[in-house]
Amino acid sequence: MIELRNVSLRYGSREVLKNVSLTIEDRTIKAILGPSGVGKSTIIKLMLGLIKPTSGQVLIDDVDITHLSEVELFPIRQKMGIVFQGNALFDSMTITENMSFFLRENLNLSEDEIRRRVQEQIKFAGLEGYEDSLPDRLSGGMKKRVAIGRALIFHPKMILFDEPTAGLDPVSSKKILDLIARLQREIGLGAVLVTHILSDVFAVADSVAVLYQGEIIFNDAPQKLYESAHPFIASFLANPED
Amino acid sequence: MRELARKYATSVEEWLKGVAFAMQEFLFFSLRAFGKLGAARRYWRDVLDQAYICGVESLPILIVSALSIGSLIVIEVGHQLAEFGAKTMTGRSVALSVVREISPLVAGLMLAARVGARNSSELGAMQISEQIDALRAFGTDPIAKLVVPRLVAAALMFAPLIALCDVLGLVSGAYLAEWDLHLDPGIYWNSVIDILRPMDWVVGFSKPPVFAIGISLISCYNGFATTGGTAGVGRSTIKGIVYSSAFVLITNFYLSKVILDLMRG
Ligand SMILES: Nc1ncnc2c1ncn2[C@@H]1O[C@H](COP(=O)(O)OP(=O)(O)OP(=O)(O)O)[C@@H](O)[C@H]1O
Ligand SMILES: [Mg+2]
Repeated sequence: MIELRNVSLRYGSREVLKNVSLTIEDRTIKAILGPSGVGKSTIIKLMLGLIKPTSGQVLIDDVDITHLSEVELFPIRQKMGIVFQGNALFDSMTITENMSFFLRENLNLSEDEIRRRVQEQIKFAGLEGYEDSLPDRLSGGMKKRVAIGRALIFHPKMILFDEPTAGLDPVSSKKILDLIARLQREIGLGAVLVTHILSDVFAVADSVAVLYQGEIIFNDAPQKLYESAHPFIASFLANPED
Repeated sequence: MRELARKYATSVEEWLKGVAFAMQEFLFFSLRAFGKLGAARRYWRDVLDQAYICGVESLPILIVSALSIGSLIVIEVGHQLAEFGAKTMTGRSVALSVVREISPLVAGLMLAARVGARNSSELGAMQISEQIDALRAFGTDPIAKLVVPRLVAAALMFAPLIALCDVLGLVSGAYLAEWDLHLDPGIYWNSVIDILRPMDWVVGFSKPPVFAIGISLISCYNGFATTGGTAGVGRSTIKGIVYSSAFVLITNFYLSKVILDLMRG
């Protein structure tokens, strides 16, 4: 379970998040919907302790991670995979190396076990035949799937997606969303899905929080969006591409 | 008027605060890098890669610089000495200035440009593409993995590179003295060997490790501190070169001054 309690964050004098509280239960998919530059990537990085809130607390399975050191954070981060907005694959490493690197770094596994786990992710993501390619050679959708495979390498129970469909064509987008839904169905993987695309929310999310001007202005089931009287939500539903 | 003055004062204050903050961050960054030096064993492959990049790939520009140093000193100083009938002293002048000052300085500046630009742009690109966040998110310390190998490789490579520049500078001086001043190489080398004392080598070789540490930490810090997309990487690269070069120029002077003062008693 991921919990933000009255989290505020400022960069210099700019207040990006104001008193945000949010809970994400295991095995559920929570979408966080918001316009560009609202602080969506920031919220995801807060959940992993990559940045610290100016005030408030972040709790993972009831452990307050706000003041933990990098070493103390590691076992907590292992519970959550992350798929970065631009994938953040290592461009000098092959697909296999991108996936195996962190296993080799952190877990004392045999080479056989590493190969087995990487093969499992490659198969799941449908990347057979590209094991030894560099990320540069892959399409946007395939890179995203590599990033998802890498995020799953520690067998987390939660996965954080930062705009997983942004910049993808509709077919690739659908593949990624199907993959997210399948992960929840088949292995009970919970997810946080940060996005500015309304159709992503309706495709996979169990519930959605809307982030606007640093605040959560809505937090409920996706269908309830239509009942909201908030002018931003109303205009967003009318012009979802904004 | 007073309004303007106040505005100016606030912006100066903001700027000073920014500088103080960056200095403090840089200090923490450096301490963490030193604390993680042991990671060089774990990431020895990266150390080798970086040693190749900063050692072997820097060779051409260093060779060109070193050859021109010795020749230039002979042209400038040798001719003056010849006017006073003292051209046999040419070797001494070349030896002292090359070994103590010019070779470490020029090599240091070239390395500041090459290594400084490379570290800050490469790490800056990794920062804006969130690769550094990815390392942290999956449990790898980016300072251990990215900074320590660069620091160790530079510390290993700078001294031999500068030694090479010393030798090439002296050799090119010998050739030019023979060709331009008709000075017998035997006389040149004798005066070179005569004048050089251990102290001169101490002065010359106190510099490469200091340059290596300064350039690596400054440029890696700039890379890590990159924000603001592609333009930000450009800014970091420039900062990496400028601050590294300034560091070389300033420490070169003070190291010479302090060590020479100490040794002259
Ligand atoms: N390191 C930083 N220093 C200063 N400002 C920052 C920093 N990182 C982000 N910001 C600012 O904070 C705000 C939120 O950034 P964030 O990346 O979280 O937004 P986002 O919702 O993910 O945007 P996008 O849709 O572009 O991905 C932005 O206005 C950004 O300019
Ligand atoms: Mg973002």
